[in-house]
Amino acid sequence: MLIEQAAYANRWRTVTPGAKALFAGCGLVAAFLAAATPWQAAAVTTCLALVTLVGAGIAPRLYLRVAAPALGFLAIGCLSLTYSLNFDSDSGGLSLAASASGRTQALETGARALTALAALLFLVLSTPLSDLIALLRRLQMPEILLDIMVLCYRTLFVFSAALRDIHTAQAARLGYAAPRLALRSSALLLAGLVGQIWQRAHALHLAAEARNGDGPLRFLAPPFRHARRDTTIAALAGLALIALAASARIAARWHPA
Amino acid sequence: MNSRSAAPIPPRNGPLLEFDALRYRYDDGTAGLDGCSLSVQSGSRNALIGANGSGKTTLFLHANGLLRPEAGEVRYAGTPLDYRRAGLRAARTHIGIVFQNPEHQLFSANVREDVSFGPLNLGLDTATVSARVDAALAAVGMQTLAERPVHNLSFGQKKRVAIAGVLAMQPRVLLLDEPMAGLDARMQDDLLALLERLHHDGMTILLATHDIDFAYRWADQIHLMAAGRCTATLATASLAEHADALAAAGLRLPDVIHVQRALVAHGVLPASAPAATCLSDLLARLERLRSNAPSTASV
Repeated sequence: MLIEQAAYANRWRTVTPGAKALFAGCGLVAAFLAAATPWQAAAVTTCLALVTLVGAGIAPRLYLRVAAPALGFLAIGCLSLTYSLNFDSDSGGLSLAASASGRTQALETGARALTALAALLFLVLSTPLSDLIALLRRLQMPEILLDIMVLCYRTLFVFSAALRDIHTAQAARLGYAAPRLALRSSALLLAGLVGQIWQRAHALHLAAEARNGDGPLRFLAPPFRHARRDTTIAALAGLALIALAASARIAARWHPA
Repeated sequence: MNSRSAAPIPPRNGPLLEFDALRYRYDDGTAGLDGCSLSVQSGSRNALIGANGSGKTTLFLHANGLLRPEAGEVRYAGTPLDYRRAGLRAARTHIGIVFQNPEHQLFSANVREDVSFGPLNLGLDTATVSARVDAALAAVGMQTLAERPVHNLSFGQKKRVAIAGVLAMQPRVLLLDEPMAGLDARMQDDLLALLERLHHDGMTILLATHDIDFAYRWADQIHLMAAGRCTATLATASLAEHADALAAAGLRLPDVIHVQRALVAHGVLPASAPAATCLSDLLARLERLRSNAPSTASV
């Protein structure tokens, strides 16, 4: 919901999604190039975050809330790469040890993941999924995958509403008043949702047929003004990111130690 | 405004959509339709009234071939429905259905996309589809919300988008399943105004409802459904004479008929006064009566 809220209300909502995807793609390339040099990676990540916050106008608090789960997973991953649990056969005890190679690996992986995360956050927080699906359609992605994406995206909200309604109705009748009741109510909720999924899938199929749907779900792609200008700017900005990421490698080649 | 006589009625050319002795049984053995026959005149406003489970939705699903009857036939413009691919495509182009729950009809991410789904399926070019989508959204007053995600709309707005999605296909017959359900009074008035405009433009409309007062106010003909069959088709203008048929279907006479009868009985209105179609119509008439003859009229 937070992502949705930002994607539809940001300053760059009307910028062509192709341009934003191009810039994010350059950000991903930069993430791989800069991974071995932490300062470059930090600079690229900062640039991507600033573009998202200042350029697209995403609120810092919302940005952090969306990034928090991914950052949490990343932190756990890096810690497990840095530290290893050793069994001391002499003393028979366990010890925690940090190796230099583990630290390097964690730093590289963390830097790459962090930059890639910033690139993807820029894209999803500035572009509604419907625009991204339209872009993928233009890029000739198979219809069946697009249809699945459209239906999953829509049903996500339909079922979250159904889930909320059923949960509220159960809670209103003391369904979650005790742990045992909560377990029972959760099971009933799950069973109820399965039935609803089946019914709603059938209803959507009927509705599509009623409007002459014969397989692929066709929708009108939204028009974007200044697509060429936006794409040019995004390409230049993306190239600048890649240059920043690759600057350490270029410098090392020209001035070997 | 609400008087039936005030609405322009386009010329009629006989029945446009006919259901002839339809029988249908669901997979679980429940009888959906049991010899249901009903005829809808071209350019007319029709209300289908019946209790829950009487077969209204099942009948709608037969109209454009979403369900195929076990017996009987559906005719559009005098021709039996062709259940092959091309025939169904033609039927679904001419006959549009707006489902009761918009959540069951809307599956795209945003409003504009969803409304474009039907016209794109007709094979129209992008410019034509875009023009139709704009016109349909304008007709339901949703043009300012065209780029909004569907899940952020209210129930009433979703309902309007569902109607726009069907209007964009420019059907000749519009079927609406319980269109007023879940709408507040203002939205109901807006929908009524939209239905009037569509009727004015010559569209044939059949809507399912539980509300006899609304049906009396709006429709030209009322079809009564019970136990999977159409038990009676009544001209709305003569509904007051068919209290027995209504009672047999578990319905009462509209309130406005009772009130007008009481006013006639008390001498407030002359017995020759034309039947009012709704209470606001009746009130307006009483106001006119008072202003025309303030010294004699007792309101």
